[in-house]
Amino acid sequence: MRRYGAGYMEPVIEAQGLTKDYGELRAVDGVSFSVPKGAVFGLLGQNGSGKTTIIKMLTGQVKITEGDCSILGVSPKVDPVRVRSLIGIIPEQETPPSFLTSIEYLQFVGRIRGMGDIDEKAEFWFDFLDFADKKDVLCKDLSRGTRQKLMFAQAFLDSPEVAVIDEPLINLDPVMQRKVKDFLKSYTKDGRTVFISTHILENAQEICDSFAVLHRGALLYTGSVAELNEKGRKLDDLFLELVNRA
Amino acid sequence: MFEIFVCMLKEEWRMHSTLFGNLNFALFPILIFGMAFMGTFLIPFTSRLMDVNMLAVSIHSMYCIMGLMVGSFGIMGKEMMNRRFGQGSLLIHSARSLPISERRLFGNFVVKDTLYYFMLWILPFCLGFLIASPFNAISIHYPLLMFVTASLAFLTGMCTVFILSSVYSRSRAALYAVIVLAFAAFVALYLLSGDIMRVMRLFMLPSEIFLNFSFPLLIISAAVIIVLFIPAIFLFSPETHAGEKRYIAALCPLYDRLSRLPFIRGGIDAEKVSEKDFVYAAAQKELTIIAKDFIDLHRSGIGIGQTLFSFVLPVGLIWLVLSVLSDVLMPEQIFMVIAAVTGIIASTMYTWLTEFESFSAYLFLPVKVSSIIRAKIMTFSVLHVVPAVFLIVIAAVTGVLASAVFAIVFAFSVSYYALAIMVRYSGLSPSLMLYSASFFLRYSLFLMPPVIILLGLAFIATGFSLAALILIIPSYFLLKGSFEKWDREDLPGF
Repeated sequence: MRRYGAGYMEPVIEAQGLTKDYGELRAVDGVSFSVPKGAVFGLLGQNGSGKTTIIKMLTGQVKITEGDCSILGVSPKVDPVRVRSLIGIIPEQETPPSFLTSIEYLQFVGRIRGMGDIDEKAEFWFDFLDFADKKDVLCKDLSRGTRQKLMFAQAFLDSPEVAVIDEPLINLDPVMQRKVKDFLKSYTKDGRTVFISTHILENAQEICDSFAVLHRGALLYTGSVAELNEKGRKLDDLFLELVNRA
Repeated sequence: MFEIFVCMLKEEWRMHSTLFGNLNFALFPILIFGMAFMGTFLIPFTSRLMDVNMLAVSIHSMYCIMGLMVGSFGIMGKEMMNRRFGQGSLLIHSARSLPISERRLFGNFVVKDTLYYFMLWILPFCLGFLIASPFNAISIHYPLLMFVTASLAFLTGMCTVFILSSVYSRSRAALYAVIVLAFAAFVALYLLSGDIMRVMRLFMLPSEIFLNFSFPLLIISAAVIIVLFIPAIFLFSPETHAGEKRYIAALCPLYDRLSRLPFIRGGIDAEKVSEKDFVYAAAQKELTIIAKDFIDLHRSGIGIGQTLFSFVLPVGLIWLVLSVLSDVLMPEQIFMVIAAVTGIIASTMYTWLTEFESFSAYLFLPVKVSSIIRAKIMTFSVLHVVPAVFLIVIAAVTGVLASAVFAIVFAFSVSYYALAIMVRYSGLSPSLMLYSASFFLRYSLFLMPPVIILLGLAFIATGFSLAALILIIPSYFLLKGSFEKWDREDLPGF
């Protein structure tokens, strides 16, 4: 496993030998990596490579079969609820509760997180992501793109130290994708960390500082985008090379 | 056409076997066979208490209600399927992406459901009845006829819900009008004839065919099904897009109102919540979920539909069935049986609150599974006003108002005990019990013996029904263990 360059701060996310079995199927096999503070880290892989399972293990949504991990020093094996209280999460395939309106859903998330000033923070996100006109619309009547904006808002509502995002740009139009990319890059400037998983490599090369490549549940490679750019290499070429070799 | 039918059959099997396990689900019809086989041996004894006519009406009504349930589940739309199965959806909705008409899909769906549930419920039941009949001097004519009449009852229920949902999709007011008219017709016929059995057999025509077979009646019953089905298939649309629905934000005001209820931890102030104050933090989360539950029930319309089909209809039917035992049992004793049944059916309100919820939506939030379960139990508790009112109404109508309090205590004790068993073995997925043989057996073995014993005590004297309060003890320990268990394990199905 490659080490990160000098200047990176201590890791906020660490995984050691993470393994997940679903019956006889080994979905994730002994994955280890670390994410330094203040980085945008990309977990890259094809569909079905185990990215979402890793995210679920990191965030305590599913039990870990073997190995361990921690976010901000807290292990989901010990206290999964505490892990989720410290971070913001956008799951890949989630839709907000059908019969709440957009604003109600943010209030719901805010109350669960024990936040104050929920309405003020919600207003910011409605304006920033340009869906204030959908505030009082039932979530089941929102388009997929608007639901994704809402899920984005709920994850960042409390400005978490660490954000874990599964496919951040899915269903967003090009204008919104640009806005979100710029936001994610700027979010880490004061030491916060973003962990994204994606199979869209152009986006990963654009916004990530470091990355890991996953294939059939196993880690193939970790590296930094800066080094890749210095060599004039594209991430998708590297990815295809690694996957074809595996 | 045949490929669609075969795929739908496979889909139905896989849906159930994925949820319950292949073996568990495959054992279910064997369980039904066993119950029917053994139940046939009890007919000579039960016939002393309950008229055979009433037994026939009850069984056919049960199949009719099953038809209602099966029909309503399949057509509830992609939204409900998403909530129930995550990103899953049924083939019946594939007209959106395939060059096939909704009507053709719907037609296949109806045939598939009829065959599938005939194999699952009707065939094993009738086979059990058939094989046991010679040992009990019951003519083979009856179990053979039951294959037909039970199917007719099931189809009547299923087609009724199809036409009702088609009406509802066009006008909610029209649906309510139809239901009110049907109820009024039932009451009017009862008042005219003075014979509840006669009216029930008229409304449940397959049972009349079973008891007094005639070809004209058979044709009429089939015609009723066709008359219900044909308009349904022309009016049918699995999804209707009614545009964006907008609501004024109700979560926070409802949260504030609920926090003032005495039995919900009150006075929760967000500013007082700190990271170390876990008790207040947990209570705040639970209250938020409870507020969301009530909004869900109100805006989805499930509350009203479920109240009618899952509570009022079955309990009302059982009340009618038991009322003919007035020659054998005292009114207070009949009322206690109603209370026991009400308690068991009331416990299924937990199923209402969980069946169409997508719990993966909670799992990425900082909330424990036990908190979600506790919140559901609190909502469940508030909904108990429904069975309480129901029992008071029955007590007033039957002249046993003095027994109402005892009945409510009895019913609530049974309800919470049944809930505790469900939570212990299924967590947030109580609909598992429906087709999982092992779960269904455990549930029955834990629940029925104490309820029967307590019912026996209540028969001796109404005041003895207070002994049901003893169920609080096992309920407490079952629930306590459940909270620890589901915080430790992955939830089934997620």
